[in-house]
Amino acid sequence: MPKFVLMLPHKPNRYTDIPEAEFMDLMKDYIGWVEEMSAKGKYVSGEKLNADAGKIVTNTSGAIEVHDGPFAEVAEILGGYMVINAADYDEAVEIARSHPHMKHNETIIIRQTDPAADD
Amino acid sequence: MRDPDQIHRLLDETVRRERGWLISSLVARLGPAQMDLAQDVAQDAIVKALSTWPYKGIPDNPRAWLRRVAGNAAIDRIRRSVRELGLEESWDLTAPDEDIITPSLSDPELDLMILCCDPNLSAQDQLTLALKTVCGFTAAETGALLFLKEDALSQRLARAKRHLRTLSGDLARYPTRFALKQRLPRLLKIIYLMYSWGYLPRRGKDLVREDLCREAIRLSEGLMLHAPEAAPGHHALHALLLFQSARTPARFDDTGQLITLEQQDRTRWDQAMIREGFEHLEASRASPVLTRYHFEAGIASIHAQAKHWSKTDWPQISRLYELLNAHARSPATKVNWAVSLILQDALDDAQALLDEVGAEKVAVNFTGWHLAQQKLADARGDAAGAKAALAKARTCMNSDAVDQYLAQQWQLYADGA
Repeated sequence: MPKFVLMLPHKPNRYTDIPEAEFMDLMKDYIGWVEEMSAKGKYVSGEKLNADAGKIVTNTSGAIEVHDGPFAEVAEILGGYMVINAADYDEAVEIARSHPHMKHNETIIIRQTDPAADD
Repeated sequence: MRDPDQIHRLLDETVRRERGWLISSLVARLGPAQMDLAQDVAQDAIVKALSTWPYKGIPDNPRAWLRRVAGNAAIDRIRRSVRELGLEESWDLTAPDEDIITPSLSDPELDLMILCCDPNLSAQDQLTLALKTVCGFTAAETGALLFLKEDALSQRLARAKRHLRTLSGDLARYPTRFALKQRLPRLLKIIYLMYSWGYLPRRGKDLVREDLCREAIRLSEGLMLHAPEAAPGHHALHALLLFQSARTPARFDDTGQLITLEQQDRTRWDQAMIREGFEHLEASRASPVLTRYHFEAGIASIHAQAKHWSKTDWPQISRLYELLNAHARSPATKVNWAVSLILQDALDDAQALLDEVGAEKVAVNFTGWHLAQQKLADARGDAAGAKAALAKARTCMNSDAVDQYLAQQWQLYADGA
């Protein structure tokens, strides 16, 4: 079955500016959703990304250079990504609609993985 | 498939349990003066864990997972304070089974529990502290459980912690056998209070706080397992908790309406719990002194034995209430005693007891007293008196479940029954 990546961006201060109890309740919504999708065979895997600035490695000047990420200035940072099974974009969008991220944040970016790479 | 509510409940319980365990382990290591640090570290660790599970799902063994993550987070956090606390650099929180540094009960949760039972703290303060630390309830939950406003709760906790900070040295960390012996009765009382709060919430919409009841039984079991000898009354208390809990499946109907003992379908009682209760009741005979738990467990055991309400051995129950009241006088005991007399048609004796209670200030706001008056009036064929007593019961502060039950009774009068 085709796989889709759901990228979950959020505002940089989304989780740091709320009371801890609220944060924990949000997380419980996410956990519940992942459990449900796993039970339906829709959830494949996911990774949470650290909220630090990250690194950018370039070779544009001919030699490899390492820079700190630009995240301090951006409007949203990527909190993590999840890989799901879906027949097509329509189904992937349906699944994204039910995602608690749509309740607690604003955006989900969906990309299909190249089917040729699927097993 | 696990539905979202179920997952929330599972998570809440896991988080609470682990928070309690972590706080206890940390206080065992760091000493009671570091209660705040222990609580912060435990909370940090749990938050860290909860922010990862959304991507990985709940691990097969959430407790082990949470302990590993929490242990690492705790160590990170502690490392910063290692020098100032004068601790060894390496200690491993990840292996709870090896977490024994010869504390008296070989169990950090019970050690902390004993610590909370400090004679210099009031029973309410002890209970608050125990719920917030050993049992792992959050401040908001603890406040809700004890109907304390946030201010009052934090004052209570601050007072308790201030006192604990004055304690130091190994004796404070690991209670001596002497302290243990001295404090066990308080610990039993905390377990008893915790259970009572859970079994019959006095306000609000919860029918029963099962988490609180379960926690009380868990602590009691832990104490049974780890204490070098049974505290006087512990078996009796444990029997009482089991007899009461056995009735839980029959206490509410499908719509959540309270069903009184009289009306309960006794085939729904948990017979395994009742059997276990009788074992502990038997063991309680070995206790060198009689406690209130002995009498209360005795009363509960008579109900547990009776196949029907009408087959209850009321004379025996009256006798036990009389003994209980002689042991520890209380309006509630007298009211229950009076009810058992009414059921034997000893109406004048019942009247005398209820009048005694009526002379006290508490009576006017005591639902049970008004209901006993109603029963007595009914037994005397005084319908108007019964109705008036029920009306007064409805003005008392009750949980929603009790209010509903009273409204239902009221309706019976309105229907001309």
